[in-house]
Amino acid sequence: MTPAPKPVVIGPISPAAGGALYQQIVDRIKREIAEGRLAPGAALPSFRQFAEELLVSVITVKRAYEELERDGIIFRRQGLGTFVAERGHDRSRAAKLAAAKELLRDGFREATEAGLPPHELLDLARDILKEKK
Amino acid sequence: MNPNAIEIRGLVKRYPAFTLGPVDLTVPRGAIYGLIGPNGAGKTTALDMIFGLGRNDAGAIRVLECDHRADEVALKQRAAYAGPDLNFQVWGRVGKAVRFVRGFYPGWDDAYCAELMRVFDLGAQDRIATLSFGARTKLSLLLALARRPDVLILDEPTTGLDAVSKRQVFSELLKAVEDGEHTVLISSHGLTDLERFADHIGLIRQGRMLLEGRTDEIVERYRLAEFFTPDGATLANPAPAGLTILRGDGNRWRALLDQKSDAPAWLEAQRVQNLTLTRLTLEDLFVALVKEQESGQ
Repeated sequence: MTPAPKPVVIGPISPAAGGALYQQIVDRIKREIAEGRLAPGAALPSFRQFAEELLVSVITVKRAYEELERDGIIFRRQGLGTFVAERGHDRSRAAKLAAAKELLRDGFREATEAGLPPHELLDLARDILKEKK
Repeated sequence: MNPNAIEIRGLVKRYPAFTLGPVDLTVPRGAIYGLIGPNGAGKTTALDMIFGLGRNDAGAIRVLECDHRADEVALKQRAAYAGPDLNFQVWGRVGKAVRFVRGFYPGWDDAYCAELMRVFDLGAQDRIATLSFGARTKLSLLLALARRPDVLILDEPTTGLDAVSKRQVFSELLKAVEDGEHTVLISSHGLTDLERFADHIGLIRQGRMLLEGRTDEIVERYRLAEFFTPDGATLANPAPAGLTILRGDGNRWRALLDQKSDAPAWLEAQRVQNLTLTRLTLEDLFVALVKEQESGQ
């Protein structure tokens, strides 16, 4: 008998967090992949198993998987299951960078609307980076 | 194989003061389906018809290819019902009720029943009369679930349950449909729970199916729109189908917008300004849609 695959754990899914539930699942899985906790070739749970574990509807997980598959981050093999794609890591990272860019754009727009000139905006960015450390 | 577990077509049931239908309802196999609607919309009537409690005046009901009249016995073997009106007190104790009900169903799963007793915190020696309302609801669910029915129909299964118990129930329901063959139809007012757990939603109001489909698609389809009409202009009347004005305050408007209708194009033609679209929860959407009906649109 083959050993049971290690369970896949992702960050919490909650209606109280931002965005649609399926989008949260997409983001959490991308994060696991981008940060290397899910390696290429790793098996993901069936969407019904995952639904039970995350306590969300089957359709929600299905939709998340479909989106990840469309982005080339995971792939499905009929009868075998769902796996992290070879290039899933790069693509997850690319997706995270694109999301970061979008958030920075929003942040910069808010700051500009609040009357912050460009050089002070960069200072603000530096301050935030320091806080993080 | 028919992809649908339950198909209701053109169902009509007439009472002196209320008519249900004609109503169509489609529950895909393997789904958790949430039937929602205001009080008195006809949800319980629809569920009763499936189990032959009262004769429908028109229409067809098929459950797993079984006609609800011609194949009544087969249907009742494969489908289970749990509702708020079930009364198990005559059996005295939980264990006696379990032994009685299990005798009727060859598919009864003893191990699963024991597991559910543990999860739902029910003891065989518990007196049914002294159980809390929530515990009685759990007993009713247990007696339906342990039969391992192919189709499980639940009328208000979470009424009187605390938040922890509700999670336990939905966790069990998700397990029950895990193989993709078992199907659950729930009538409920717990919209927050259904938004999270139900794959499909059907909204009944005044005896008619107003909308039915995948929960995520229904929630994505509508937005709360806020916008301003240009100075000196007023909003053309009437608003098109798909735009329900909820509030107008001078030139500032709030409306429910169906993004799949012509309303977005119409708003653009009206040259409205500062249009913001906000996602709605299923509960917000429900309230807005029911309000739409009351205002007679």
